[in-house]
Amino acid sequence: MNQMHSLIPSFCRAPVVSQGHRDEDLGPTAQPTYEIKETDDALGLTVNLPGIAKKDLEITAEADSIRIVGKRTWDRPKDWTVLYRETSDSTYLLELDHDNGVNTEKAHAELSEGVLRLSLPKTEAIKPRRIEVA
Amino acid sequence: MRYIRYNYPTRRSLPVAAFGRGAWNGLESEIDRLFDAALSGTANATTGGRFPVDVYQDTNNVFVRAELPGFDRKAINVEVVDGYLTIEASREGDDEKAMRATKFNRSVCLPEDVTTDGVTAAYVAGILTVTLPKKEEAKPRKIAVAVK
Repeated sequence: MNQMHSLIPSFCRAPVVSQGHRDEDLGPTAQPTYEIKETDDALGLTVNLPGIAKKDLEITAEADSIRIVGKRTWDRPKDWTVLYRETSDSTYLLELDHDNGVNTEKAHAELSEGVLRLSLPKTEAIKPRRIEVA
Repeated sequence: MRYIRYNYPTRRSLPVAAFGRGAWNGLESEIDRLFDAALSGTANATTGGRFPVDVYQDTNNVFVRAELPGFDRKAINVEVVDGYLTIEASREGDDEKAMRATKFNRSVCLPEDVTTDGVTAAYVAGILTVTLPKKEEAKPRKIAVAVK
C-alpha cells in the first residue's frame, strides 16, 4: 500500500491528527486505532485507548453517528524530566458514521486495560431475514 | 542514546479509510480492502509490532512508560540485558472479542547510570510503567560539612 501511496498524490489524505477541527474545546485530537467486526445481529467496535480510565471516556450516540472522546488525564509527576518521548498528550477522538441501522439504546460498552469494546446491536429492520417459500 | 522512532499510524497507514469523504476515497478504500485481504494474518499491520514508549527520569529512578493496550499481565515480558530494556507482549487472537493475534516487541537503550536490581513494573489501563533505580553513585548526595 505504501508503494501505492507514493504513486498516487495525496489529494485528500491528511494525517489523522488534524481531525478535530470542529472541536476547538478539545485541543489537539488524535484518532485512536480501531477495528470493526460485523456479525449477523451486531457490529463490534474495538478501540485502542491506552491510558484512558472509565471516567475519562465519553461515548455519545447520535442518530447516525457515534463519537468517542477519551481525555488523557495522566500528569507527569513534577520531578520527572523527559529523556525521550513518543506518546502524545492529545485527546482521543473517534467519530464514526453509520446508516441508522444501529440500535444505540441497546449498545453495550466495556473498557478493560485500555481497550474499549463497543457492541452495537443492529436494528430489526436490517437484520438478515429468512423468507420461507410458501 | 539511539532510538528508532515510533510514529502514530496516520490515515495513510491505517486500513480502509472508509469514513472520510473525498474524490479518491472510493478507489482508495477499495485498494486498501484488497491489500488488507491479501495481507491479513500478518502480525499487526497497522503498527508493525511496535508501540510508543516514553523515557523519564527523576533523581533516583528512570521510568519507561509504554502504551500497550489490551494485554494480559502474564503475557507481558520485561527484560534488562546489556543496557537495553526489552518489552515483549503477545496475545492470542480471539474471535469473540474481535482481537487479532498480536506480538509486540520493543527494545529501549537505557542510560548508563541504571542498575538492573530492583526493577519493578506496573500495568494500569493499558500503560506499562517500568521503574529502574539508578546506581547509588549516580544519585545526588548530600555531604554534611562540619564547620569547626
